[in-house]
Amino acid sequence: MLVINMEKLKLGVIGLGFIGKVHLRNCLKLKSARVVAAADKSKKALNYANEFGVKQLFTDYQKLLKLKDLDAVIIALPTYLHAECAIRAMEAGKHVFLEKPLARNPREGWKIVSAARRNCVKFMVGYPLRFVPEFVRLKSRLESGFLGDIQLAYAVNITAGPFLHRAESTIPRPVPEWWLNKELTGGGALIDLGCHMINLLRWFLGEISDIKSRLGYHFNFDFEDYATCIVDFKCGASAIVNVGWFSQDTAIGIELHGSIGHDRAYHSPSNKIITAIKLLLGKTPKFYIPHLKELSYFVDYVKNDDKENRLSGEDALRDLEVIAEAYKNQIR
Amino acid sequence: MSLVGLVECRDRNVNSVKKSVKEALKLIDYSFPRAKKIVIKPNMCYYWDYSTGQTTDPNFVAALIEMFREEISPDVEISIVESDASAMKCKYVFKYLGYEKLAKEYDVKLVNLSEVEAEKATVKVEGEVFEFSVPKIIKYADLRVNVPKMKYMSFTKISAALKNIFGCNPYPRKFRYHSEIDKVIVALNKIMPFNLHVLDGLTVCGAKTLRLGLVMASRDPVATDAVAATIMGVNPKSVAHLKLAEREGLGKIEFAVKGGDLDYFRRRFPRKSISEKVLAFGYRVACKLGLDKRII
Repeated sequence: MLVINMEKLKLGVIGLGFIGKVHLRNCLKLKSARVVAAADKSKKALNYANEFGVKQLFTDYQKLLKLKDLDAVIIALPTYLHAECAIRAMEAGKHVFLEKPLARNPREGWKIVSAARRNCVKFMVGYPLRFVPEFVRLKSRLESGFLGDIQLAYAVNITAGPFLHRAESTIPRPVPEWWLNKELTGGGALIDLGCHMINLLRWFLGEISDIKSRLGYHFNFDFEDYATCIVDFKCGASAIVNVGWFSQDTAIGIELHGSIGHDRAYHSPSNKIITAIKLLLGKTPKFYIPHLKELSYFVDYVKNDDKENRLSGEDALRDLEVIAEAYKNQIR
Repeated sequence: MSLVGLVECRDRNVNSVKKSVKEALKLIDYSFPRAKKIVIKPNMCYYWDYSTGQTTDPNFVAALIEMFREEISPDVEISIVESDASAMKCKYVFKYLGYEKLAKEYDVKLVNLSEVEAEKATVKVEGEVFEFSVPKIIKYADLRVNVPKMKYMSFTKISAALKNIFGCNPYPRKFRYHSEIDKVIVALNKIMPFNLHVLDGLTVCGAKTLRLGLVMASRDPVATDAVAATIMGVNPKSVAHLKLAEREGLGKIEFAVKGGDLDYFRRRFPRKSISEKVLAFGYRVACKLGLDKRII
């Protein structure tokens, strides 16, 4: 395992697609870390990193992993490359922050978790919703007993999925083809957005005992673009989870109904033009502040041996197992 | 002055749309030509379906297919065309927007213009020579029908009939044309002139999406766009590609509306607020200064 001193943590960013760029920009804002290298197959993406002052750029991430002066990597590659890249990084002795979902299926996920253990590196999976202030407050109210025992919950994560406008709202963003191939993604909206909501609900309500799903095909894809899940928890609560890629608007939220009270929390993006202006000015738009907080948490976790890992690989693997169960237990 | 027919259509079912389109064509004294091969070019700019107002409703195209088979011949060969673009691939968009289902149901061809035979051709716009590949399926069609949407667009102010023909350029990486977009739009319309323009304004994408229930028809793409711009609250004479198209002889900005009340549609169209216009202007300036590279 690498020994990290009080110096800045040296980070590499692997994958500079949409979320990779969000992570890159956020890494540059961290006081206790600095980005020393980036890797992407696209030279255009590498130019983007170069404009932000990253000097060591690679079209092959394996060359980045050979850098001795590198403590940890942020991996934001397509899902089908998660296992291969994360395991290689871990075997190279690098700590790893991996974008969600952990992998395409639990078998791949388990290989990543095992590699982290075997190589004694720190490993965290990116779940920014765990750092959204509204959800953190809801968790605090739940733990303080204000809501009593939760009987019913509702979770929703409905967005445009990969079919995004650019930030200024009038120009559509190209969709990388891997997004449209379920062999490469592991599924559709259920795995992509469902893993966020399953992770949040497990954080709020504990372990899941049963899950059933109904999958929907609004856009005639080969995979689901929306899904509803009925979830039972060991604590006795039940939840409905709705996820979808079919809307140009964003609804991300949790509602809890307990024996004493009800409460809800929603995470909303700010106006697209304001988002664009903030990006132009080099600021972090509101919607991406939780992404910044999760990276900051990762850097602290790597630098401090006594820091708890709130987003462990094991936790993400359990999310993936639940999602796999949901795919298996479909209500026709 | 060119004639533009406006008809209100509150329902998107195929029969209602067909009736409205026929009415709009009657308003402009349109007589159906003899044709064996018809090409229909809807707007399929991205993976957003008709409900967003961004792409042509497949029911609208179905109505046109039924109408041509009734009015021209049941055996007329109809092709629906689109080309790959920087942000969109036909092989996905045909399926996701419901055109694969439509093609099967109506026995029409779906053609990706980026994958078919084409001939090189040159055209002059304001003295500048442009060369494009012209798909043979368009060049040798007996009737070319443009079925655009109407929407705001940051680079061109508006997108309607003329801009929709930008999608007939088979070259997929269309982003490269954005620096000369006005001339390129006009060049493509000159090199691939369409005979009839039937605008799908059932659902429109203005500042917000709205079910406007409009069917518009004209033989003149410039007049079609001038009416669309007027409804959208944009002075047609402030739209660079419209002025250029008129100068290049593609049609007339001056129009005569027949049928529906232009003011009725203009009042209802979801226009941009002043603050949205200011912010959009600021964004355009940032793009010109090259700062947009910072946007993810």
